[in-house]
Amino acid sequence: MNELQRIQPPLFPVESVEIPEAAMHTLKNGVPVFLIESGTEDIMRLEFTFKAGQAREYIPLLASTTNMMLSEGSQNYSSEELNRQLDFYGTFLHLDCDRDRSEIVLFFLNKHIEKILELSREIVFRPAFPDPELNTLMKKRQRWHQVNREKVNKLADDQFFESVFGKNHPYGYKILEKDYENLNTSMLAEYHQRYYTTDNMAVIVSGKIHDQTIDLLNKYFGETVINRHYNSDNEHNIKGNTEKRVFINKDNSIQTAIRIGSSTINKMHPDYPGLKILDTILGGYFGSRLMKNIREDKGYTYGINSSVSSLNLAGYKMISTEVGKDNYRKALDEIYNEIRILQNKPINNEELNLVRNYMSGEMVRMFDGPFALAESFKSVWEFGLGNEYYHRLAEKIRIIEPDEITQLARTYYNIDDLYEVSAGSK
Amino acid sequence: MIKYKRFELGNGLKFLIHEDTSTPLVAMNILYDVGSRDEDPDLTGLAHLFEHLMFGGSLNIPEYDTPLQMAGGENNAFTNNDITNYYLTIPSQNIETAFWLESDRMLELDFSQKNLDTQKNVVIEEFNQRYLNQPYGDAILKLRPAAYKVHPYRWPTIGRDILHIADTELNQIREFYFSHYAPNNAIIALTGNIDYNHAFDLAVKWFGPIEKRTINARNLPEEPQQKEERIVTMEKDVPADAIYKAWHMGSRKNPEFFTLDLITDLLSGGESGRLNISLVREKKLFSDINAYITSDIDPGLLMIHGKLMKNVDIREADTAITEVLDSLYSKGKIDEEMEKVKNRHESSTVFSNTSILNKAMNLAYYELLGNAELVNKQVEYYRKVNHEMVIETTRKVLIPSNCNTLYYKSGRKEL
Repeated sequence: MNELQRIQPPLFPVESVEIPEAAMHTLKNGVPVFLIESGTEDIMRLEFTFKAGQAREYIPLLASTTNMMLSEGSQNYSSEELNRQLDFYGTFLHLDCDRDRSEIVLFFLNKHIEKILELSREIVFRPAFPDPELNTLMKKRQRWHQVNREKVNKLADDQFFESVFGKNHPYGYKILEKDYENLNTSMLAEYHQRYYTTDNMAVIVSGKIHDQTIDLLNKYFGETVINRHYNSDNEHNIKGNTEKRVFINKDNSIQTAIRIGSSTINKMHPDYPGLKILDTILGGYFGSRLMKNIREDKGYTYGINSSVSSLNLAGYKMISTEVGKDNYRKALDEIYNEIRILQNKPINNEELNLVRNYMSGEMVRMFDGPFALAESFKSVWEFGLGNEYYHRLAEKIRIIEPDEITQLARTYYNIDDLYEVSAGSK
Repeated sequence: MIKYKRFELGNGLKFLIHEDTSTPLVAMNILYDVGSRDEDPDLTGLAHLFEHLMFGGSLNIPEYDTPLQMAGGENNAFTNNDITNYYLTIPSQNIETAFWLESDRMLELDFSQKNLDTQKNVVIEEFNQRYLNQPYGDAILKLRPAAYKVHPYRWPTIGRDILHIADTELNQIREFYFSHYAPNNAIIALTGNIDYNHAFDLAVKWFGPIEKRTINARNLPEEPQQKEERIVTMEKDVPADAIYKAWHMGSRKNPEFFTLDLITDLLSGGESGRLNISLVREKKLFSDINAYITSDIDPGLLMIHGKLMKNVDIREADTAITEVLDSLYSKGKIDEEMEKVKNRHESSTVFSNTSILNKAMNLAYYELLGNAELVNKQVEYYRKVNHEMVIETTRKVLIPSNCNTLYYKSGRKEL
C-alpha cells in the first residue's frame, strides 16, 4: 500500500475579491437607494437607515426607545396586528439603534415584497407611539436593566464608555434605573418627526433584486417628503474622565471583567487600516498575542480579544476579557506586557505573514453573501467613504512593514493614555 | 432545496458535497457522533474538554490553528449532548489545507500534558463565565437533574461537577479518543465553491488511509416515564423571580417532534407569540418568556422559561402559563395562526440556507439522523401539522404529571 506523505499542501495566495459596487438610485423625493445584487436565494434584506442614533438625543434612552417603538402600532395598525402581519409573512424585523444611526432592517422572501413595503411604511413613517405600549416596554426594559446590573461584563462595558467618552456625552453616559421612567410618547413623536425624515434617510437593499424593486420603493416611499426642521442639534462634548483606573465592586463575583482602551482615530484617518492590522496582531483573532498568551499559554480566561471601532465623532479601541479573580493582577500585567512588546520589538516575518493571510481571508468573508455585503457597504458609506477604503485596507495588509507596526503601537497604544476598567470582587 | 451528492470511503467515513459557485469560499463541517451523553457519569464534561484538545496538535502537525489561518481560513467547534462538531471556512484555492489538517487529527492526536492542564483551566473559566458568574446561569444545572433521573442528559455538556474536569487524566483522554474519534464515527459535509470530483479525490487521498476503529454500540439507559409533577425551588441573590418548566417529549425521530416544534412557535415565535401577547403585553406578569424544544436526538425536553415582573406572585405566574397552554385546545383563529408559524418556519429555513456554513452543518446533522435528504423535508413535515395533532400532542405532553418546574426565586426584598 502506498503510504501517504502527510506533508502540508501548497498554500495559494488569497487575493482580494472583486467588491461589487452598489448601484445607486434616487427616489422621486430624493431619498438615495443602494442596490446590492447577491446570493442564490430569492430573498431580500431591506434596510432603512437614519442619522438618528444616541448622539442626537437630549435625554438618555430617547433614541433607542423611539426606534423600538416604531413597530408598536401605527396609523393603520395596532401593535398586535402589525407584529402579527410581519410574522404571518415570515418577516424578520430588526430595530437597531446605535450611537450614530437608527435602523429598521427587514429580512423576507421576495414574493411578499409588496406587503412588506406597505408594512414598513407604517413602521418608518407612520408610527403612533401609543401610551400603553410605551409603558409596557419601559417596565420590561427596566427589568432587563436590573438583570444586566448583575453581570460583570455589562458593568465594565458601561463604565468603560463613560470613562472614555465622558458622563455628558451620549457615547458615554450610563443608563440608570430611573432613566426608564423619564420618557413620554410626545417626546418620542417629536424625536421621530425631527430625525426620521426623508432628507436624513437612505435605503440599502441586498439579495435577489427584481426589476420592479425601484418602482415599488417609489410607490411606497417616494411620494412622502418630510424635511428636517433645521433647529440646531444638541451639541455634546466628548471629554473622557480624568480618572484612568476604575474598579467596580461586585460582591461574590468569581470572575473579574477587564476593559482596557481609549478613544482613537476613526475610519476617516489614513492610519486606520494600519491600526486595524495592529489590533489584529494584538487581540483580533484566535491566534492573536493576547489569546496565545493569556488563554492558550496561561489558561487565565475562556477568551480575550481586542477591537477597534469607528464612530462618527471618534473611534475607540478596547481590550476585553473575563478572568478568574485570582488571576486578575497577573492578567493585567500580561496585557500591558504585550502592548509594550508591540511598541519595542518589531514583529517577525512569520507572524506578519500569518496576519496578512488571515486578514486576506477575512476580507473574502466580509463580502460573501447579501448580508455581509450590505453591512460592509454601510460601514464605509456612513463615513462618506466607498470601496476605496477596502482597497486601501487590502493594500496595507499586503505591504505593511514591521517598523510601521511598532510605530503605530507607540502612537496609538500609549499606556499612560489608556483607561483600565474592572468589575468584580476584590 | 439543497442539492448534494454523497459518498462513503472504505473506512466508513461519509461525505456530503453541495456545490455553490456564488461564493469564493468552501465550508467544511466534521461531525463526530459523540456528545456528553456518551460520558461516564463520574467523568462528565470530557467530550467538551476533548473538543478543546483537538486544537492542541496532531501526529504530524504541532498546532491546528496557525496553518489554517495561514491559508486564510477560520474555524470553530461546539459540543452538545449528542455530537461534537468542528467547522471551518476557507478560500477555495486552499481547501486541501483543510483536508490535511482535519485528516491528521482524525488519524492521531498528539497534545502535551501542559496543553491538557491549560485547557482544563480554560474550560473551568468557561464554566464560570457561562454558568456560575451569570445571573440565572445555574438554573439549567438544577433543572436537568430534576428532569432526568437515569439518562445522561441529566448533566449539562460543560459537566456535572467542575472537579470532573480538574481531575481528568491524560490516559482517560486517550481512551476517549480511540473509542469515539474514527472515520466510521464521523460525517463530513463540504459546501460552497468545490465540485464533487475534486472533493472526492481529496477525500480519498487524505482520509482514505485512516483505518476503521472499533466503536462500541451506544447503550444508554432509557429515562423511565415521569409519573408525577416535580417542583424544585431555589433562592439566589438575583433581581427577579424566574420560572423554568420542562416537559418530557419524544426523540428527534418521533413524528411528534414537528408538532411540538410548531407548538413552541405558536407560543413564542416572534412578537405575536401567545405567551408574549398574553403574559408580557396583556397581563404584564413577565418581562420576557420563551418556549422551545431542546431538539436532542434521544427523548428531549420542551422548555418554557421567563422572568417575572415586580410584585408578581410566582404561583400566579405559573398558573397563567398553564392557561396559555390550555388555549391551544380551542379553535379560535388557530388556522390563521398555524399558517403564520408555518410561513415563518419556511422563511427561516430559506434564510438559513443563505449561509454555506449552515448548509454544511445541516447536511451532516441530518445524515447523522439517518438521511441527509431530511434537510429538504423539514418544511414539508412541519407544514403537515394540523390542529388535531396540536390538540392530541398537547394533551399527551404538556400535562402536569410530565412537567418539571424550577422556581428560581430572588432573595431580595423589592419595594
